[in-house]
Amino acid sequence: MSEFLLTQVINFGTPLVGLILFLGALGFPIGASVVVIAAGAFSQQGILNWPGTAVIGLIGAVIGDMLSFGMGYFAKDWAQRRFGKSLAWRNARASFQQRAGLAIFLTRWLITAIAIPTNLIAGGSGYKFSRFMAYDIAGEIMWIGLYGGLGYLFGSQWELVSEFISNFGGLILGLVIFGFGIWQAWNWQKQNKAKSYKNHSEGVEGL
Amino acid sequence: MPSNATRKQRALVIGLIVVGIVFTAFFGMRVLHAFRKFNGHRPPPPGKVETDVELIRDWMTVPFVSRMYHVPDEVIFEALEISPKNNRDKSLTDLNQEYYPDADGFVVDLVKTTILAHQPPPTPDSVPSAVPPLTAPPAP
Repeated sequence: MSEFLLTQVINFGTPLVGLILFLGALGFPIGASVVVIAAGAFSQQGILNWPGTAVIGLIGAVIGDMLSFGMGYFAKDWAQRRFGKSLAWRNARASFQQRAGLAIFLTRWLITAIAIPTNLIAGGSGYKFSRFMAYDIAGEIMWIGLYGGLGYLFGSQWELVSEFISNFGGLILGLVIFGFGIWQAWNWQKQNKAKSYKNHSEGVEGL
Repeated sequence: MPSNATRKQRALVIGLIVVGIVFTAFFGMRVLHAFRKFNGHRPPPPGKVETDVELIRDWMTVPFVSRMYHVPDEVIFEALEISPKNNRDKSLTDLNQEYYPDADGFVVDLVKTTILAHQPPPTPDSVPSAVPPLTAPPAP
């Protein structure tokens, strides 16, 4: 898939880069990060015009993010009906609202594998659209600037950069999942301790 | 006795930690491997003409290779015995499948050979030293 797209990027240039980043932002697994790095390298080789490609790519990615935020927004009522009574859901919503800005920014360029769920949750949890857009645009600029810049810098050796970055993203995702698991375990322990303390004191009072 | 919800919560937490460890170990190894490959490479100086033909991939088109290595595309098409007409947008894999279906990888290999044969002569990186290199003394 990725190789077919690279051939087409050579042939169709900037508009296709914009389309690929748009589809990537909607959740199609088409290797958008690889295309950003390759587009940087192709710009260095004179195949693409880098300012134009960066702007069109950014517009494509941001429109895709807006649409996936919208999907979450319109699924809000359904999610509320389905999970609204669950304490875990309410906690998750509250916890997301607290750290949403950082989550949106980091999932644009560092932990890209969870960018779509983040958009859906942001839309579904009633996160303010203007704030979402601000963090989203900042993150997408970082993604295109950093990945495309490395592709530009390394030119024909861009595949080395791509291999490193895609695996690094996986490593960060693993660390985030692990950290989240530990944090959940810690919270759970704390809740259990509080519950047993409460039971114990109620028992003492009952005597 | 733990309730159903507690059991579920415990399974979720253990699952997250296990998945996190598996992901971290798997991608950590791959990052290390990629870093080792990456480590010996530095960004090429701006304007440098590529000379390493091992960077040619089968998704590339002939005009792309021509641009990358500064070798005219007519030379490559001629070597492949293929007309440039309607073939400029095709990848090397597609050209192989269309014109040499029985010879796997033939087009990429031939393009590499053609590029090597037609590359401009390398420019010296430094001025040659006036002092002749040290050689082993002649045997008595």
